[in-house]
Amino acid sequence: MRKRTLLFILLSLLALLLAACGGSSEEPAAGGEESAQTTEETSGGEEAMTFKVGLVTDVGEIDDKSFNQSAWEGVLRAKEELGAEVDYIETKDAKDYEENIRLFADQGYNVIVTVGFALGEATAKMAEEYPDIYFIGVDQFQAPGTEKPNLAGLIFNEDKAGFLAGALAAQITKSGKIAAVLGTDLVPPVVAFKEGYEAGARYINPDIEIISTYHPGGLDVAFTDPEWGAATAKQAIDQGADVIFGAGGKTGNGALIEAASYEGVYCIGVDTDQWLTVPEARPCLVSSAMKLITPGVFDLVKMAKEGSFPSGNYVGEVGLAPFHDFEDDIPQEVKDKLKEIDEGLRNGTIETGYNPGG
Amino acid sequence: MPNNAMTMIRQRVSWLLVAGVVALIFVSYGATPAVTTALLASTVRQSTPLVLGALSGIFCERSGVINIAIEGMMLMGAFVGFLANVYTGNLLVAVLAAVLMGAFMGLAHAFMSITLKMDQIISGTVLNILALELTGFFYQQGLTTQGKLTPVRIPVLADIPLIGPVLFDNPPITYLSLVLVVVVHILLFRTVWGLRTRAVGEHPKAADTVGIDVIRMRYINVIIGGMIAGLAGGYLTLEAVGSFERAMTNGRGFVALAVMIFGKWTPLGAWGAALLFGFANALQTQFQFLGISTIPHQFVGMLPYLLTIVVLAGFVGRARPPAAIGQPYEKE
Amino acid sequence: MADAKIANGAPPTRWQRFAQAITIPLLAVVLAMLVGAIIIVIAGANPLGGYTAMFRGALGTARGLVRTFEKATPLIFSGLAVAFAFKAGLFNIGAQGQLILGAIAAAYVGFAFEGLPPFVHLPLALAAGMLAGAIWGAIPGALKTFTGAHEVITTIMLNFVAINLTDYLANGPWKDRSPGNIVARTPAILPSAELPSIGVVPLGLLIAIGMAVLAWWVLANTTFGYEIRAVGLNPAAARYAGMSVGRTVIASMAISGLLAGLGGAVETLGIVGRYQPGFNTGLGFDGITIALLAQTSPLGVVPAALLFGVMRAGANQMQLYGVDAEIIGIVQGTMLLFVSAPIIIRKLFRLRAPEGGEEVVLSTGWGSSG
Repeated sequence: MRKRTLLFILLSLLALLLAACGGSSEEPAAGGEESAQTTEETSGGEEAMTFKVGLVTDVGEIDDKSFNQSAWEGVLRAKEELGAEVDYIETKDAKDYEENIRLFADQGYNVIVTVGFALGEATAKMAEEYPDIYFIGVDQFQAPGTEKPNLAGLIFNEDKAGFLAGALAAQITKSGKIAAVLGTDLVPPVVAFKEGYEAGARYINPDIEIISTYHPGGLDVAFTDPEWGAATAKQAIDQGADVIFGAGGKTGNGALIEAASYEGVYCIGVDTDQWLTVPEARPCLVSSAMKLITPGVFDLVKMAKEGSFPSGNYVGEVGLAPFHDFEDDIPQEVKDKLKEIDEGLRNGTIETGYNPGG
Repeated sequence: MPNNAMTMIRQRVSWLLVAGVVALIFVSYGATPAVTTALLASTVRQSTPLVLGALSGIFCERSGVINIAIEGMMLMGAFVGFLANVYTGNLLVAVLAAVLMGAFMGLAHAFMSITLKMDQIISGTVLNILALELTGFFYQQGLTTQGKLTPVRIPVLADIPLIGPVLFDNPPITYLSLVLVVVVHILLFRTVWGLRTRAVGEHPKAADTVGIDVIRMRYINVIIGGMIAGLAGGYLTLEAVGSFERAMTNGRGFVALAVMIFGKWTPLGAWGAALLFGFANALQTQFQFLGISTIPHQFVGMLPYLLTIVVLAGFVGRARPPAAIGQPYEKE
Repeated sequence: MADAKIANGAPPTRWQRFAQAITIPLLAVVLAMLVGAIIIVIAGANPLGGYTAMFRGALGTARGLVRTFEKATPLIFSGLAVAFAFKAGLFNIGAQGQLILGAIAAAYVGFAFEGLPPFVHLPLALAAGMLAGAIWGAIPGALKTFTGAHEVITTIMLNFVAINLTDYLANGPWKDRSPGNIVARTPAILPSAELPSIGVVPLGLLIAIGMAVLAWWVLANTTFGYEIRAVGLNPAAARYAGMSVGRTVIASMAISGLLAGLGGAVETLGIVGRYQPGFNTGLGFDGITIALLAQTSPLGVVPAALLFGVMRAGANQMQLYGVDAEIIGIVQGTMLLFVSAPIIIRKLFRLRAPEGGEEVVLSTGWGSSG
């Protein structure tokens, strides 16, 4: 008998649950008590007043210490400085990009930020479908002729950031041998960082020896394999490389942390100022080849609010992160040289030679 | 006696192969000492989690319990070891925590597959999935470890050229894995306990009739197997990387399974196989370092898996698993 | 024992057998959701609200329903693939590899064969996916038959090989070379190869359900199906009865692979529109959980996959509500635990074990099939 009772209780629980959702879907405004709050906030009468910014991540976490997080910080800045109401969705399945964008679009969001080149297609399609909403596509190149008035691609010249990193590496190496430990070549920005890095190093010293490696695995592992990154960094250090450029998510972070345990070996991070995101690497981290995603996203959100939204491509800033602890170790002439290269890259007198799609 | 002759020929071929490899290493060392040393050091390093994972599999399978949960056990060990390191800052405690977590996973596997008589592959699948999801859910960014295990130079030995830096300048768990290879070999083939384990894996009924407690033997072995897998996880977070990431085992537990089969369920064989796999990885990297990219890296990447199939299929000497593997034991 | 004998007096009716078959999965689902709820509470959120948001997101609107169907479709295929192999006593962990090969093969036919009318092009692309999956499935079957290599290991290894192979193709010979594209992916399939929807129901879902019925029918009503089940229950007896065990093993694995490959093809032609690495992650592995939740019944796979579809489709709503979407993975894992260790549920609810119930037993040795 006891089994029957228990079964009954469980089944009725299930029935209740189903009834609860069935009921609430009939009268969407009511909802559960808890969700009522969020619904009110998001689709209540003040829609015209509040300025709402939503962010959709690439497959990955919002706190990935990398581009998702940087973009979100830009949105958070919009919350602080512009009084925007903000929320995000972490994409769990690459096929959900469109749907996740739609989720914000249907709730009357004013600006939707989508992060990563992989969302490019979905973002463009949604921008067409929702012409009244501004879309910001981080890392999404807008091909000439396909621009939409309400969509801006926030793009970065990773090759230039890589060039600066390479130029720095070539000036601080003592062995004349530098290395790069990279995510997969399936992802364009990684290739750009690599090509730029090598070009920058050769710009300083044409005879420099550069050893660089992509992760051999597929997309599903290439950015989340810190042990491979670490082992590869060690292999490079063991054969005399004394500057390690780690560019490839967690894989690259593994390389940075590994380099930190060797005397006289420097490492260079990527995307954000990894001094802040990978504290374990501080003993070796001279700088990072940064894409300034946070200010880029914030600027675009601000422009959207002020009605001066640019369409097409909006090129964000790239550059080297502060030297932090190494401020005094880096000679002034190196700093001057980097500054000179930075200017050259900006005004076009120096080219990285990287040609995407070629 | 054609069989004996075959075995003799095979042994000779094996020795010739080993001799060839040694000769090659010396030639290579003569030409580029730094690169050769780096390559071999990387080989040892990349083989460490594989050999530990394979030893875990050997313990379980020699006693008759299939373990495809090495991956999940490693991941849980890695995660718990990492957490212990974050919160205590004591590396020894962290390693112990990883091993304990492994033991717990082993216990869970034993309970499901021995006591509940669940299908052992399904039990392993359950553990793999749960490990992946639980660590993914509970891992939070921003936790920073307090250091990692660092290399300990063994005086004198570490000064030998080539062999010194490759074998005698390693961090603790790497040493431990080398010691374990020998210890497990002796344990399995030179002790009463090992004999009993193998008996339980081959002929549980016969073992039972001579008074061996089959269930107890299997429990102990699977738990020990879990502990070693936990240690492999600890190796990843506490020694190799010094940090945790979601799904960071990245299939190493499955490669370890391949290594175990490759090594024909023997510790020494598994060590050799792990070195081979590690070498393939290190060589892959070295090719890229040298700018040799005639073969797309995906083809190099799939090589270890194809090799495993080839070995398992018996094209290169038949791999024979313990006879009673996979079958729950029913006492009559 | 005495109890069982009394119950044995009359043969169980169809309804009784059905009730018996769904009790465990149903309780497993409920228990797993309770476990999930506890974890949500530990994580500091409201489980009832979270689940409500999930169900409402997945079932509350027409579009939610479409998404539920879309999510469930590939899972039906991979669940069927695993379940079908189970019937022959084989554990196909390789559905993932078979599925992505089917996906890329269908994409290739979809973009490369120009000028075909839809009624030729679409079936051709689907057939390409089936063929690729069937070949990838037949390999471990043949290896098992001729060399004794256990399919669990060979399929795991072949998964890795398949990932490498498809990555190579999508970033090499079959890469989308259209101007502006720098991403590793194949070109988009031509409109003539697209798999349409009928109202809110994707055609792929209908194909999937059709295949489930077909698989059930073949297993229940044909000689071939009988052979498969006989080999699955007792290979030695089947061999003694004069059946070709080897041929059955290869055929079962090929069909299993075919189903997975078709799933990949449907996904490519109906949802993604091309092959792109990372877009089919995990679908094959979920097939294992679904097949077990369905108690290896091809018909049971459909509701099991739909349940998963609901969870996936509602996940983002749940996230917006404030519950981490990863909880769904935990719920599914726990579900798998409860269905595959039915004894836990029986103990909890004091249920009797079914008489002569078919328990799945697969682990018959690694290296040799005896």
